[in-house]
Amino acid sequence: MSNLEAGAPALPLLQQLLQRSLSDPGMLRATEGHGDYAILPNANVVKIGGQSIMDRGKAAVYPLIDEIVANLPRHKMILGTGAGTRARHIYSLAIELGLPIGVLTVLGTAVAWQNAQMLHYLLAKHGIPFIEPEGFSILPHYMAASGAVICQGMPPYKLWQENPVVGRIPPNRTDTGCYLISEVFGARKMIFVKDEDGLYTADPKKDASAKHIGRISLDELVALDLGDLIVERAVLDLMRTARHMHEIQFVNGLKPGQLTRALAGEPVGTVIYRERQGSTDE
Amino acid sequence: MNERSQIHDNHIPSRLMRESLVDRDVIATTQAPVTRILPNLNVIQIGGRIMDRGAALLPLLEEIVANQPNHMQVVAVGAGARTRHLFAVGIDLGLPTGALATLSAKDAAQNAYMVSCLLAKHGFVYLEAPFIVQLLPAILAAARGAVFNGVPPYDLWEHPPAIGRIPPHRADSGAYLLAEVFGARRMIFLKDVDGLYTEDPSAEAGKAEFLPRISVADLRARNLTTLPIDRILLDLMGNAKLCKEIQIVNGLKPGSLTRALAGEAVGTTIYAN
Repeated sequence: MSNLEAGAPALPLLQQLLQRSLSDPGMLRATEGHGDYAILPNANVVKIGGQSIMDRGKAAVYPLIDEIVANLPRHKMILGTGAGTRARHIYSLAIELGLPIGVLTVLGTAVAWQNAQMLHYLLAKHGIPFIEPEGFSILPHYMAASGAVICQGMPPYKLWQENPVVGRIPPNRTDTGCYLISEVFGARKMIFVKDEDGLYTADPKKDASAKHIGRISLDELVALDLGDLIVERAVLDLMRTARHMHEIQFVNGLKPGQLTRALAGEPVGTVIYRERQGSTDE
Repeated sequence: MNERSQIHDNHIPSRLMRESLVDRDVIATTQAPVTRILPNLNVIQIGGRIMDRGAALLPLLEEIVANQPNHMQVVAVGAGARTRHLFAVGIDLGLPTGALATLSAKDAAQNAYMVSCLLAKHGFVYLEAPFIVQLLPAILAAARGAVFNGVPPYDLWEHPPAIGRIPPHRADSGAYLLAEVFGARRMIFLKDVDGLYTEDPSAEAGKAEFLPRISVADLRARNLTTLPIDRILLDLMGNAKLCKEIQIVNGLKPGSLTRALAGEAVGTTIYAN
């Protein structure tokens, strides 16, 4: 093993993989630099908030549906849904009952699934299907045929969800699930549709002095050390190691036109970006 | 910016109503004890490198069967050499980590399926992830045991790792997360080594010092070049609520599993502080 580290001619990757431990950082470094293929570079992943959009009913959802349909001719979309107040209700109950994080994840997934089904009923006449995580291999066909697909935003971790550092709320929820779809497919954009104009220095629903942030880097955001955020913290961690999706955008779904502008590449709402490309390739 | 129109009342009353689940203060209020769903369960993991040895597996399976009357076991199985080959091809093609994770899970599933066939006559059944979620307790009440895929069902949603492209949550992580969520009695990893050494024993036979018992924090501080388990398991154990101890034993040495199930200090025990 030491001769590999010492600059002797490296073995072909397969020979290294067969001989070395996958826990060895040197082995992992040998898997760098082979190029990253973008699977669906034209797809835009759009996450529709649960509490922020779906729970509001038609006042928020109908205009957003119209805006999605209007954008179908120009933009391919993977629409993921959040969970919302029913998830908060069942998380509260399940925590009191002493149920573990994996069970909370199974329960929360069902709520995001319900929201995805509702969105699906409303978009069905436009030929847009709902797909389960197991059905993702047919996603490219549906996107080509209908311009969009709907999925529930939770990653399919179910009982295999990891514990958070503090507390009992599943750390990888619908923001994370949608972000990871955009990352694995090498998508064009990751847009989160919520009920605020983006990121603020505090929760604008609770603090009138909160200031809007239009564009901010990951490092700047972490340095602010905000107690609350517009996005799951796991997404910020994953952006640091991501290969493709180094920029995420947050728009206000209650303001017609913001999603359209974000899809068109305009800097509406808030953009969070990673400063440098490549975690270890350089 | 704080417009009244942005607030709505379509909530179900609950402690978390209207709250941001990203808010640190809100999250801190959710700290509470967790119950053990299957406290008698022992999760046993057979590493992919044991599977690659073919007939060497058979005595180990006999030992699992011999222990089942006294210890309820579910068996997770890992992926081995085929997954290493697949990683080499997939990385060369430029495929992302989530694609590699999806593909690799099939290798562990093949291994798990072979184990389930060999244990079928003893009442063990093979369970895919959705059936573990819905059916594991019922299966264990009706059948003698279950075999499952050690690789967790993260698939396309696997996390991109800090270094390189290899999926970080592999068959050790998946087995452990199941032990944690069910509040299992024991998590035992059956590997082709006696446990944890200060150096890779296959490469540095003379220098390697055996570590029979070590905390996660001490293990992190030692910053060992190689580990016999997924490195991310140390992170997962750091946040453990229930499964705060794992044991690594040599699955090729008869009696190791039996002793570990009996609570003896065989192999290496890693514990969360």
